[in-house]
Amino acid sequence: MTKVHPEDFEVTDFAVREHRSLWGDAWRRLISSNTARLGLFIVILFVSSATLSHYFWKYEPKKDLNYSLKLKAPNIRPNEEVDSIHIFGTDKLGRDIFRRVVHGGWNSLRVGIVAVGISLSIGGLIGLLTGFYESITMTTAERIILYGITGLILGLLSAWIANQYFQLIFFLGFGIAAGYYQDLLAGKPLRMIVFGSAGLLISVIPSLFAGLTIALICGIWGILTGVLLSLPLDGKFFSNVMMRVMDMLLSFPGYLLAIAIVAFLGPGLGKGMIAIGIVGIPVYARLVRSAVLGIINKEYILAAQAVGEPHGRILIRHITPNILSPIIVQTTMGLANAILSAAALGFLGLGAIPPEPEWGAMLGDSYRYLTSGAWWAVLFPGLAIMLSVLGFNLLGDGLRDALDPKLRM
Amino acid sequence: MKPLLEIRDLETRFYTQDGEVKAVNGVSYTMDAGEILGVVGESGCGKSVHALSMMQLIPDPPGKITNGEVWLDGRDLLRLDENQMQKVRGREIAMIFQDPMTSLNPVYTVGFQISEAIMLHTDMTKNEARDRAGELLELVGIPGAIERLDDYPHQFSGGMRQRAMIAMGLSCEPKLLIADEPTTALDVTIQAQIIDLVKKLQSELGMAIMWITHDLGVVAELAQIINVMYAGSIIERGSVHSIYKETKHPYTIGLLGSLPRLDDAPGTELTSIPGLPPDLLALPEGCPFAARCGYRIDKCFVEKPKLVKVNGKDHSVACWRWEEISGLT
Repeated sequence: MTKVHPEDFEVTDFAVREHRSLWGDAWRRLISSNTARLGLFIVILFVSSATLSHYFWKYEPKKDLNYSLKLKAPNIRPNEEVDSIHIFGTDKLGRDIFRRVVHGGWNSLRVGIVAVGISLSIGGLIGLLTGFYESITMTTAERIILYGITGLILGLLSAWIANQYFQLIFFLGFGIAAGYYQDLLAGKPLRMIVFGSAGLLISVIPSLFAGLTIALICGIWGILTGVLLSLPLDGKFFSNVMMRVMDMLLSFPGYLLAIAIVAFLGPGLGKGMIAIGIVGIPVYARLVRSAVLGIINKEYILAAQAVGEPHGRILIRHITPNILSPIIVQTTMGLANAILSAAALGFLGLGAIPPEPEWGAMLGDSYRYLTSGAWWAVLFPGLAIMLSVLGFNLLGDGLRDALDPKLRM
Repeated sequence: MKPLLEIRDLETRFYTQDGEVKAVNGVSYTMDAGEILGVVGESGCGKSVHALSMMQLIPDPPGKITNGEVWLDGRDLLRLDENQMQKVRGREIAMIFQDPMTSLNPVYTVGFQISEAIMLHTDMTKNEARDRAGELLELVGIPGAIERLDDYPHQFSGGMRQRAMIAMGLSCEPKLLIADEPTTALDVTIQAQIIDLVKKLQSELGMAIMWITHDLGVVAELAQIINVMYAGSIIERGSVHSIYKETKHPYTIGLLGSLPRLDDAPGTELTSIPGLPPDLLALPEGCPFAARCGYRIDKCFVEKPKLVKVNGKDHSVACWRWEEISGLT
């Protein structure tokens, strides 16, 4: 019987899959969905038409006026009445609606990006820090910063009442000192008395120059500040205070708050952006915070601490990338929301100032002419709002599905 | 010789809504450089919490280290603040965790995470750290280590992830490696591989290892000294041989008795310790084990026994009747 030996061979096939990144996978899932593709198409159309028209098809709203073309219906070739082409018709001042809709897109895009940028950066930072320090002990330096900021914020009221903004420096220093001497008389009532009287001195002495009544009010506030700073503040405290402030913001109806802020700041597209941005802060703060709380107890965070990584690095390197997907989804949806809010403010005359092309303001300008049959002056800006909001929402939905961790293999 | 690590009267409490949880109650012991210490006990006996307390990684609130000293190389770790502690963690004491599935960050490659840990404590450049990460993965026995540096954690199996965690733990050549139930989530063959790997690495690199587990079989194979913990205290401590052969504490006797043995006749019922461990919210006055102990006397309910040396050897036990009991086994 002959023995059979295996032939010499080279191993050709390794069971190693090609490296696929998380974002590559998500992208593939995103474009495999029809609705997401439609959303992406609308968004790209909107963004590119707005950007291109802004840079290559200049428009000066203040000079655009032609009464002879007042409220003409859409035409696709010149006729005896209108010798130029207006595919969306013209409005009450004879302006080409197509041109204004396209340029209005640039304003909407700006509002969306700036407003969401404000909400996301402030709200996201609040959410990150509150979520993180809710369960992680602060270092000494971090605690001193917390005390300093608390002092500074509390000092604002006293400084405002006395109209002496240099007081802020005293309050900041006071807060830092309270943080630095945290263990001084810790837990004893004497500490409260010492800090309370220090706070009194800090606020009363400069305020005396502003008048006796003011000094009295500032003095009481100074005592309260001192007492608060004498307490052991920690991350939990910070987190609680911040979230209650967010709850307060959230308890106002969104549009009402935006209108109030615009009323305070004055009308204009830029102010409108700030107002819409502020209204959005609590949404992002809560979202980010809940996402942070969801992963803070994962072992890789503990492992990062166990190899001695500093807090800032854990926050940026380990926590932020892991909570990106809900933030991306919310940001996309938030853009749609901001566009809608900007249109609402514009419609009420609180957003963009008139000759400026803005969809909401265009609606507000033209709805009166609906009864005289000028449907085109209202239809096209309205369609633009609807389509852009729809596009961002569809894209947001698609992103949510694509980034869903349950689908990740 | 001065010990590497000396823990004195460590006490950790958790202040919860239901009251004060006495998780660690006066733990004291020493560890020499290069020693492998096994810490055993059932769930909730304070094994992990006392190790996390040493590293000051107890979530605070609700946790708080209320008493004690942890001396490592002439420094009391509990007196260090968070910034100084960050320099100790990873460089002097490293820790690996129970669940390898979640202890690597899913969004970074394995190589990135290891080299990041290296760059944190040394002044190596990115490329040097990457090379070192490759060496470490090689050292912990991952085939094709250099190619696998660019893999994400989900492309690794459980055993490989635990190896990668060990590589990360070893990256700065710590003096003490704390392994918190590192093999619990793995199946038996992988467990055996990891244990062999740790043994090999320990003999090559010479660091001290604290191996926390509830698996008596694993420590018997690995450790030199064993601490048996119960309700937050060490109730028996000794060399592996003396713990297994000259068991003194009724709880340890019960634990060893509850292990199935190969030479038992088929159908033999396992003996078990009656009752449940005490509620750490309301720890009894005396010996925490008294309520479940077959050897208890009145004194056990009144006064908590201290850890005392047995026959001057490297074996100590916290039981009032250890002399009588040891006669029985």
